[in-house]
Amino acid sequence: MSFDTALRATEILLALAFIQQSAEHLWRTPEIRWLFGLRLVVSVVLLVGFAPTLSLLVLTGLSVVALHHFQGPYNGGSDRMSVLILWCLTLAHTLPNPRWQELAFSYLALQLTLSYFISGWVKLVNADWRTGTALSDVFAFSAYPVAENMRVLAHSPRLLLTASWAVIAFEVAFPLALFTPLSLIAALAIAATFHLANACLFGLNRFFWIWLAAYPSLIWFQARVF
Amino acid sequence: MLLLPGLIPSWQFFKTVEPSPRVQWRLLSDDGSGDWRDYQPRPQSLSVQAILRRLFWNPDWNDALFVVSLSERLMDHPTPHSLREIQRRLEGEVAQVPSADRLQFQLVFVSRDGGELIQEITYLSAPWPQP
Repeated sequence: MSFDTALRATEILLALAFIQQSAEHLWRTPEIRWLFGLRLVVSVVLLVGFAPTLSLLVLTGLSVVALHHFQGPYNGGSDRMSVLILWCLTLAHTLPNPRWQELAFSYLALQLTLSYFISGWVKLVNADWRTGTALSDVFAFSAYPVAENMRVLAHSPRLLLTASWAVIAFEVAFPLALFTPLSLIAALAIAATFHLANACLFGLNRFFWIWLAAYPSLIWFQARVF
Repeated sequence: MLLLPGLIPSWQFFKTVEPSPRVQWRLLSDDGSGDWRDYQPRPQSLSVQAILRRLFWNPDWNDALFVVSLSERLMDHPTPHSLREIQRRLEGEVAQVPSADRLQFQLVFVSRDGGELIQEITYLSAPWPQP
């Protein structure tokens, strides 16, 4: 995947994710309707590819206003990934030197890799994760299960132990997928399935869409470096 | 400062499973009593269609997760912003109750102690009049 193709693919996926997020905000946070109405319009402009640099600059400014309004991220990690992609894309468009532009986009690829590896590492060093207790707690009393009947999964220790180790092993081993294009595509497919499962079980739909938006940067990075 | 966690993220998702907050609210009668109710209780079950639809459209759930963040902020680093944002959402919840006079909310944190789930009330708001 060429640098320009990867940038454009990221713009399209980011725009789609922002349209989805903005529509939800227009429904649920009417006190700042102007902000997410404008964000929706500019995201559509970015999606069709008209004036991408200006669109990204406006979206970057709006992201700062949103962070100030909510005094931090509204939706935790998905907002952090949104900000990261947005800033890396904006820098990749505006930095004067092509090498710096590639560095900005590489930073996104690096952070995407770290998002899996660090998540896996902090679980690996936690005894509660290694025994399945942590995942049991997620289902037993955390705020995430989307329905009460899902809490019954807290009482399936073998399933949770297997699932815990599957998640840990995949996340920690994720950087190894960078060695070949095929292994990377396979790893990204598994990762997308993981986010899809999180969206279904825990309602984390925004994570699914925004993490997909970062994938082109890693596909480009793998071809560029390895 | 608000930008830094986005530009240099920590990515420590579910490092530990912390005590989980629930927001409960009540309408206060003249004698200061009232029954506590859960804010935005989750459904007993969801159909496959509903789960798939929520992939694209899940505003209420995402706002409920923001209320979880606000509750944690209120305990860790209390600010008028967190308090006001929770109050504003509760006012929207009870807007259909014309006789409502004063509102109050509490935060109940659920955690595991050995093999038992325990609940602890960690915050009780001052009553405030419904606008």
